This record gives sequence, C-alpha cells and structure tokens, in this order.
Amino acid sequence: MMGTIIRYSLALIIGSALGLSSALYMAGLWPGAKPLDFGDVEVDGWRSDFAIGSKSADPYTRARVARHGLLALAKSEAVYFTRTTDDSGDLLREECDYRMVGGKMPANWWSITLYDARSLLPMNEDKALSIDATSITGDPENWSVLIAAQPPEQQVDWISSRNAGKFDLTLRLYVPDEALIADPEASFTSPAIERLSCEGESQ
Amino acid sequence: MKRWLGPLATLSIAAIAAHWATLHYAPSVIMDRALLALKDRGIAEHAFTTPERITPQTQAVVRSSPDLFYSLCRYDLSQEGAVLDVTVGQWPDYQSLSFFDEATNNFATIRATGRNAQTYLYFDDGEQNRPDSLIPSPTKRGLVLIRRLAPTQGTFRAAQKVSEADSCALKTP
Repeated sequence: MMGTIIRYSLALIIGSALGLSSALYMAGLWPGAKPLDFGDVEVDGWRSDFAIGSKSADPYTRARVARHGLLALAKSEAVYFTRTTDDSGDLLREECDYRMVGGKMPANWWSITLYDARSLLPMNEDKALSIDATSITGDPENWSVLIAAQPPEQQVDWISSRNAGKFDLTLRLYVPDEALIADPEASFTSPAIERLSCEGESQ
Repeated sequence: MKRWLGPLATLSIAAIAAHWATLHYAPSVIMDRALLALKDRGIAEHAFTTPERITPQTQAVVRSSPDLFYSLCRYDLSQEGAVLDVTVGQWPDYQSLSFFDEATNNFATIRATGRNAQTYLYFDDGEQNRPDSLIPSPTKRGLVLIRRLAPTQGTFRAAQKVSEADSCALKTP
C-alpha cells in the first residue's frame, strides 16, 4: 500500500515538474532560454512576432510577449523587430564595437533601442540608448550609427552599450506601411550590423 | 510492469495539466505582478499618472522606449454598471490610447495623431446591451496606456503639458 502511494506521488511530482518546465521552455520563459530568438517573421536576422497583441496569438506567444513585450501594441499600430546578432551571426556584446547602417523605414516613425539580457535599458548615464527617425543626423535614406561602450571620438550618431553585457536591439516601426505587414521580407530593407572590433582583439 | 501503468498514466496527465495551466495562467500572473509593481511605483487607479521620462534609472516595465511619453491608468470595473471615461488631450504628433486586460491582451487601440479623443470602457459580462461606441473590456481589471512621440527633453515637457487635458475617470450609477 505504501509503495503504491509513493509511486503515484512521485508520478504526480515528476509529471507536474515536466509539464511546468516544458511550458516555460517552449514559451521562452525558461532561465537561460533566448525568447527573442522566437518569432514568426525574420528579415536578415531581425525577428518579429506579428501575432503580438492580436487575439489570435497562440498561448506560447502570449506567455512570451507577456514577459518580454508587456504592453506591446498590435501590428496594425506598431511592429517590433529584435536583433541579437551581428552580420556574422555572433551575439551582440558590450566588448565589441559595431556599425549599424540603414535606410528609409516602412513606417511613419521608427526608433532603435538597446536592451540588456533582462530586457531593460542598461544602467548607464550616457543618454544614448536609442536613435529614432527624428534624431538621425545623416541622410535619412542612408544613415550610419556606431554602437559602442565608449563615446565616439568623431561626431557620429551613437548608441551606448556600456554596462549592457550581451544585448539586443529593438526596432519599433509605428504606423507601419501595409506592405510591411503583408510581406515583410519584400518590403523591408533591414539595418545591417557590422562588427568593427572587440576588446582584446588585435586591430 | 503492470503496477507502473497507473503511475505512468498519472505522470502523463499531471504533465499535460501542468503544461496547460502554466501557459494559461502565465500572462495573468505576469500582469498581476506588473499591476502591483505599477501600484507600488505610484501609478494611480482611475487617473492617469505620468512617470518620469524613461531612463535606465526610472524604467518600471521591460522594453520601455526612451523616445516615448507614457501615461498610465489602472482600472477596476468590478462595481456593477461602472464605466471608465477616458480622454486624451490634443497632440500634434503621433499618440495612441491602448487598452490591456488582465491577461496582457491589447484588446483595443485608438490612434489620435494630431487630435484629442474620448471613449468609454465597460466590463463585458456578455449580458449588457451597450452602444457600439463603448469599448468592452474582457476583464474587470486592466490598464490604459497613452503613448506620445516625444524623443527629446523638450517634446517630453510639451507632452507633459498636454497631459493636463488627459483624464481617466470612473463613473458609477
């Protein structure tokens, strides 16, 4: 009798743990998982969940968005793309400097913001954690931004990665063009991210 | 072998139930914690609260944008017949009014670029006949969020000034 109780108790505990952990993992909520690598749209390494904010979002997407995109808008109002790697496929990190190059965006207004691994703005006082359509100083159809932990020596647009560790970039496109929603791969030329150098590397 | 069939079936059922329950309740638990955190940070119920400009030091919600002015209002429509009267002031650039239920769903958004706007929110219990102009909230509690494009300190101050015309008021019978 005691053996039966133990077997059923163990089954309950192990089953619950398996169910809980598999749900957390599949929804991108498991510690160490990379929830931003999920998504149903990818354009040159920039990933997006077009199901965000919609009632049709599956439970996995809803759980993931609730944790990492809380209070995000539906795609008719805003589209969010996130990039975690440079053009070589390596993770973006504070120890490296990058050049991001882009052009005209398919939306009324756009911004690109840097977040750390906890989905928070990194703790620094550089006041350089994003760029947007109104702050770009170069040609709006062919702009360039330096992403680095230290301010640039020359006068160029800069996003600070100081104290960010491994980070990602979120591109917000407000009031996106209909073509972007219909066919993102065809209508969106995404910003490229070239790694310039890394700490400890010979130039 | 036979004596393990029952425990194996129990393990499978427990795993499926726990998997489903985790996914089902995760958004509600996350939103509940977020609402609590916002309350602790001084976000009022039935009134818009404008936090400070988003910086690493002031951020309260993950992935907030430093280029936007946010104004938040927590609501609770538990009282029978209660309606939330929401107004946003006029802003020359992009602004929107978005509504989120207790499960984090963005169930309605009003874009009000270059104009002001007013709407009403009620709890949709499936039994009331309400005019189409009212917005039904799927849950009794939730959050209203104003976003205004304000990427500089100057435009943020201007958005703060405009926010004096914003209101989020509970009307009861």
